[in-house]
Amino acid sequence: MSYFFKKQLPIILASLAGVLMVAAYFLPWQPLQDIKGLMTNWIVVISAATVAMGFVYMTTAQIKMYQKNKTTLQLIYTITPYVFFTGFALSAVFYPGGSQSPEYQWWFSNIYSNVGATIYAIMYFTLASSAYRTFRVSSIEATALIAGGMIYTLRQIPLFQVYTPWIVPLGEWFLLVPNTGGGRGAVIAAALAALVVGIRTLWGKEATLEVQG
Amino acid sequence: MLLGILADGTLQPLILLAVLVAATYNYNRKAFAGEIKADQLREIPAIAAITEGVGKSVEEGKPVHYAMGASGGQLYTQLVSMTLVSLAFLNYISKLCAKFEAKLIVHMPYQAESIPLIEAMVRDGYKSEGKEGDFQQSCLRYYGQGALSWTQAVTASYDQEGVGLNLSIGIFYSDCPISLEMAKIKGGMNVGGTGRWIMVYCFAMMCDYVFLGQEIYVAGAIVSGNPLMLAGVWIEDAGKFYSLLLLGLGLLAALLGVGAVTALFGL
Repeated sequence: MSYFFKKQLPIILASLAGVLMVAAYFLPWQPLQDIKGLMTNWIVVISAATVAMGFVYMTTAQIKMYQKNKTTLQLIYTITPYVFFTGFALSAVFYPGGSQSPEYQWWFSNIYSNVGATIYAIMYFTLASSAYRTFRVSSIEATALIAGGMIYTLRQIPLFQVYTPWIVPLGEWFLLVPNTGGGRGAVIAAALAALVVGIRTLWGKEATLEVQG
Repeated sequence: MLLGILADGTLQPLILLAVLVAATYNYNRKAFAGEIKADQLREIPAIAAITEGVGKSVEEGKPVHYAMGASGGQLYTQLVSMTLVSLAFLNYISKLCAKFEAKLIVHMPYQAESIPLIEAMVRDGYKSEGKEGDFQQSCLRYYGQGALSWTQAVTASYDQEGVGLNLSIGIFYSDCPISLEMAKIKGGMNVGGTGRWIMVYCFAMMCDYVFLGQEIYVAGAIVSGNPLMLAGVWIEDAGKFYSLLLLGLGLLAALLGVGAVTALFGL
């Protein structure tokens, strides 16, 4: 394949698509809005079609892991995702209503949602263990962090609201002044950096898109 | 006349875009002339820590894990820039792993459309070190849709295969607290960052070395070694000066009770 088709044409197409999307943001012309809508639909189709590719990668990795560790437990780990994948797929394909059918919804509500909720709950334990490390008074920065955090947290506890009422406005001040000010500065800086990457991509000069592979 | 053509409330973003485009033209010219170099930027300790982490992984015989976030493959949202920076880091860590012969495991995001880019980055990293034969496709792990299934799979990988260095850079939501802390618990060294300010606290709490917010963009430019990406840091500064100018003008106008500036920009 020539250099033009392999490298330049994809970059030209990506830049053109990007320019059209930017134009559609600034100019309220219907033809541009129609193109934007059409391209958004393409995204959905491309995204759905590429899941099959992900499935191939997942299978490759699973087989390799089982080949390296041929134990019953590893076999169970390898087979389990496919059992559930088949279960979900069959219930969506064969029951009337597809993914809205009571059978599919049963799988979703009783298995997927519960597993998800369990993992989500674990997050709070991980936050607690990391908070212990972070809030140890080992430096001026850590001391400032724990002082701010404690005041911010204690202001929400009724006991402290009654006996130390000054903690409420102080906690609010921490929330609304240093926290919001610092946060906005960081968000603006990150947004500007994102814009710069966007312009570089539209320009066709983004290094990550030039990699040959 | 221009105001009649533009969509409502887009004048100020258009001016900002024009400022950044002009700055891009100027600094890209300087980059081509060789006037922009990485040593003009301040040192970021987390970059050096990546090499240290790869060394630690080799010494311990454990793999290097690279995570872009469960939804870190976004190529068509406003977070696409973070995906591109994450890919630059992936290329860098692939080079390091190829160079030091460390095992690399890439936990891919559920946006499967980004897989070709991810594979290209890793292959290019191995190729640039002359070790293309060392690349194994099975090091690229895909776990399907859902942040929480991704989290389960990543933490299972830490547990089963061990973790020397865990480099996590990209778009993270509620997936990062568990994956980062589990890597830490399993004895891994955490280096990472995200441009999503709302999740930066997790990285600050759980990482040994952190890229704070926009530092990922600067660090991405440094590790790429590409002059045009480095020029981006100066272009971004031009945008910051413009933002400060707006802030100053707005403050002055508010103090004087003049609403012209805010009215002009539709703020």
